[in-house]
Parts: sequence; C-alpha cells; structure tokens
Amino acid sequence: MRTRLLSVAALAATALVATGCSTVSNEPAASGDGDGAGPFTIGISNGFVGSEYRTQMISDIEDAASSYQDEGLLEDLVLENADTDVNGQIQQVRNLINAGVDAIIADPNSGSALDQVFQEATDQGILVFAIDQAVTADSVINVGIDQAEWAATSAEWLAEQVGEGGQIVAVNGISGHPANEARYGAAQEVFDEAGVEVLTTADGGWDQATGQQQMGNLLATYPEIDGVWTQDGMALGVLQAVVAAGREDEIVVTGEARNGFLQLWNEQSDDFESIGVTNPPGTGATALHLAMAMLQGAEIDESQLVDGNTLVLALEEPVTNENLDAVWAETEGEGESYVLDSILSADDVQQFLVQD
Amino acid sequence: MTAATQAPPAPTVVDRVRSVRVASWATAALLVVAVVAAIALQPNLLTPYGVASTFATFLPLVLVAVAQAIVVIGGGLDLSAGAIVALSSVVAVQVMRGEDGLAAVGLAAAVGTGVACGMLNGLVVSRLRLQPLIATFASASIFSGLALLVLPTPGGTVPAILTGTFRQAIATVPMSVLLVVAVALGWLVLRRTRVLRHIRATGGDPAAAYASLVPVQTSQFASYVLSGAISGLAGLAVLGNAGSGDPFIGGDLALGSVAAVVVGGIALRGGIGSPIGAIAGAIILALSSTILFSIGLPTSWRALAAGVVVILALALSALGAPRRRR
Repeated sequence: MRTRLLSVAALAATALVATGCSTVSNEPAASGDGDGAGPFTIGISNGFVGSEYRTQMISDIEDAASSYQDEGLLEDLVLENADTDVNGQIQQVRNLINAGVDAIIADPNSGSALDQVFQEATDQGILVFAIDQAVTADSVINVGIDQAEWAATSAEWLAEQVGEGGQIVAVNGISGHPANEARYGAAQEVFDEAGVEVLTTADGGWDQATGQQQMGNLLATYPEIDGVWTQDGMALGVLQAVVAAGREDEIVVTGEARNGFLQLWNEQSDDFESIGVTNPPGTGATALHLAMAMLQGAEIDESQLVDGNTLVLALEEPVTNENLDAVWAETEGEGESYVLDSILSADDVQQFLVQD
Repeated sequence: MTAATQAPPAPTVVDRVRSVRVASWATAALLVVAVVAAIALQPNLLTPYGVASTFATFLPLVLVAVAQAIVVIGGGLDLSAGAIVALSSVVAVQVMRGEDGLAAVGLAAAVGTGVACGMLNGLVVSRLRLQPLIATFASASIFSGLALLVLPTPGGTVPAILTGTFRQAIATVPMSVLLVVAVALGWLVLRRTRVLRHIRATGGDPAAAYASLVPVQTSQFASYVLSGAISGLAGLAVLGNAGSGDPFIGGDLALGSVAAVVVGGIALRGGIGSPIGAIAGAIILALSSTILFSIGLPTSWRALAAGVVVILALALSALGAPRRRR
C-alpha cells in the first residue's frame, strides 16, 4: 500500500521533471545591500578546533568584534566552530548563509573544495574572506601571510646553520594538506639550492606529542643528522625529543614562535640556536577589521592583491637568539600556550582600501 | 516447492511489517520535531536557496546512510564508507579533468571505485571471516591512503555540468530535493530484489538463513559491494557540493552514517529495519547540527550537545524498536 503511494509520488516527480523547465535556485542578493549603514552580522567558519593556534584565532576575532559591537555597528558575531571535514564545513557555511550574515570569515579546510559554497555566498552579496589558507575562488578575498615565504625563512636559516652537504630530516604537518604542501615545497627549494640533503620526512600532524614521537623515531633511524626542519605546532615536541636524546648541541632544530618553545629555548645553554617565524593567529581579526570597513562602503585596493584575490600580510621579524630575550620578556606573561601574534588594527587595514 | 517456501514466512512478514512500523513511528516523530524546530529557528530554510542548500547538504550523508543500512541489515558494519566516498570522489575528479563530456565517465569511475572497495571489504569479511568492525576500520586506512596517492593535494575541477545541475531546480523543485527523493525510490525498487531479501535473511539469523539455502557468504559479499557502489555515488554528491577534489573529504561520514542508521531504527545486530529509516536518520542528524547552530549555543558546548542529541535520538528510536522474536 505504502509502496503504491510512493510509486505515485515517483510518477508525479517524473512528470515534474518532464514538464518543468530548469532554473537556477540561487537567488541573488536577499539580505546584503552592499554599502549600508549596519548594524551588520558577521559569520565565522572554522573546521578545526583544539589547537592553540585556532583557539587564539577565534578569541582574537571575538576581541576585535567586541569594539564594533559596543559601537552598535556589529549586531552579531555568529560562530561555526567545530571539528569537521570539508563536507561539514560546507554545511557550516550554508548555515551562515541561511542565518543571513553580511560577511563570512572562514579558515577553510581545503584550498579548492569550498569554492562552490563560497560562490553560493558571494552570489547572494555576502563578502567572504579566507584566512590562514588561501582558496582559489575568485570572489573570495584571501587574507594571510605567504606560507611559502614563512617556510623559506626558517629553511634558509637552517641551511646556513648546517651548511652545504648537511643532512637533515623534516617533520611536516599533514601530507596533502595545502598549507603543508606550500610550506614544504618552498623549504625543499631552499634546501636543493643550498645543497642540503633531506634524508626523509615524517608527518607530525601539527601536534606536539606526535611531533615528539616522530622525532624520537627519526633520531633512532638516522643518527647522523645535522638538523631538523619542522613547522609550528610541532617544534616544541621535536626539540623535546632532541633534548631527551641529549643531542641538542649537535642537531640544529628550527623552532616556532610560541611561548612553550621559547621557554625551552630560554632554558638551553647560550650555544643553542634556533629560529621562530611568527604565523599570526590574529589574521582573522585583521580580516574582521577589513570586513567591517568594506561593509561600511570601503573598497579594497585591487592593485594590492596578488593573484587577483589575495592580500599578503608582511611577516614579522622572526625570533632568533639576537632578540629572544627581548621577545620572551614581552610574551612570558601570556601563558604557555600563547602564539606570538600580529593583528592589524582598523586604522592599519586602511592601507589596503581605496583612498578617496 | 514454491508453494512450500511461500507459505511459512507469511505470518513473520506480517509481524515484521508491523514491528518495523513501530520503529518508524519513533523515527518519524523525531524527523517531524527536527524539521519543525529547524524551520521555527531558521525561517530562511524555506527560501529557495535554503531548501536547495539544505537538501544538497543532506545528500552525501543520506547516500552513505543507505549504503551503511544495507551492510548493517546484512549483519555487518562498514567503517570504511567515508574513505570509500573520498577515494571515489578523487578518482572521479581525476578522470573527469573538469570536462563536461567526461561527466558520465566520472560517474562510472566513482561507482566502479566504490564497487571495487566494496568487493575488497566483502571478500575480507565473508571469505576470510574477519570481524567487520576491525576489517573495515583497516580497509578505511587503505582507501584513504589510496585517495592521497590518486590526488596528493586538494584540487582538480568538477565539470560545470555536474556542479551546475546540482544547483538547478526543475519546476521550482530543487535538484537536490529530487535526488534525495530518488534515493528513497531507488531503495523501494532495490528492496524487492532477491539479493536484498537474502541480505536481510543473512543479517537476521545467518544459521537459519544457511539452513534455508540462502547463500550466506555471497549475500554478505553482495551487501558490501552494493554499499560500496552507493558510497561511490555519495562521492559524486560530495563533488557536486564541493566543485573540486579533496582527499580528506568525507572523514565524518562513516560514523555519521552509523548514527543515522541507528537513529533510523535499524538494529546494529542485523536483519531489522529499512534504509528509508536511515534516510530519515541522516536528515535528523544533519538538521540537529543546524538547530544547535540556530539556537546560538556557544561553540564550546556544541560538540557536547551534538553527542547528547545523538544519544537522545538513539534512546527514543530504541524505545520504539521491535524486539526480535526467537
């Protein structure tokens, strides 16, 4: 009986398909009216939580938003912040669109697989910013540091330390992850040019404990290495493994601009050298200032965009033995999980906007 | 002979239909509550974009839930479903190379990949007789690893005809809605086949099924192959949503599908339930995430609340679930 009902429904559906003509279901511009006066709603989509970087990124955004909320310019900051895959992040973004936000700031889980859903948003007049990881959709504005430049900075330093013919290993984030590929690709180029041999690579998953474990394995397998190149989120673990093996005087370790690492660095003898290049979680807050300015009618200066849609933020001076004491004195009070940060203010972002 | 085999099952079939109804009531009630709550909290869901996008979001989980349901009804479990989705989607992306003319080839490639993965799972479970839980957990790693080899970094373009069609409406009914309905109808056709009756019998009681001349091993094998094929289709649905390939896509789908199956009133011990329930389960789960978002729950509470919702849904659907009579 129920089956019959359903086959009737099936017939009806096929009839619809046969008679109806196709129209695109995306209806442009329902809520966003371009350069309005507000108050606005901004949505945040983040698909990976639990790392100190992402936690600080979200709290930076909330801090930056609170001043606009006090002014009455920002009605609501809607957070979609949960561990998920690309598929789940597509749902996050659709939730934000359906909630009627005026702008979306996303830390995308993929460089290209969110393009379609971002397009759905921009088609409806919603401003979309991608932070931390650039995406390929033209209508999205990428805001962030150049990951390749970030990686090359520490790679060049390491190449100098171990010299030509030096043998190193690399502890990477996640193979196949776009940020990892961009970073390691750039580092590899530096090593090739400098004649530094990378014996092997291992994945530390941007996780201190995994990084430590992987480094322990590498030390046992490759006792002759001169150095190790690693990324932020794992450098503390890697250094701990090297220290545990008592080889911190022979093996050069690239570091990270995070308090936990700086502390361990500080505890070493003066001969110990490292480098920490800042990868600021505050990029999201910078994007929020940009979003608020653009929602209020400002236009981005296209001439400053790289590849048509990417705003590259300048790197901060890296932490080295020269400035370690000064930096540490400044950040020591922020707690062990603090990531060295850099946030452009509402006034700072004016440099990227068209000036009248 | 036909008369002899037809006559005895008659009462049990009636029983079964009645008992399945009871389970369906709980699931249906949950579905109604979820839909009403989601719409009340987020009226924009009723706009054309809201409907189309919501169903487009449902589709991958709905497909994987049906795939999972078939395996679970057959007495197995497939933790590799999400990895099969990832592998099928990246294979399809590589095969199609963004060209409209190759969309059909991509479809075949996605389903073919799913079938191949299902065959591996089916062989390991039915012939080597390994525990499905562990066997598919391990094969998930194999498939994810292969996905990384096929597409080392996210990228590739899905033909515009696929992403475009996915976002169109036919006589104002969004394509995504039609596709979800089509999945349900597809099941209603499938379930009448001999293979699926054998799968159900195998899951219900393998020894009794064996004694009744049901090819138990073949049925188990078939359940994984069929499930793999449907997961392959889910890979395409994922591509329709994403517009590009990503070897890490679909990681949440395997456990999500198991939850959807149970919320949908399908007993994990096999033999009982219908993928229609699993479709409802998938929609309930997807909507619950929208509801949690809409009530403005602080994000740090969201994961906890999502877990509580799943447990509540499981408890409610278990209340209505039929007890198997021996």
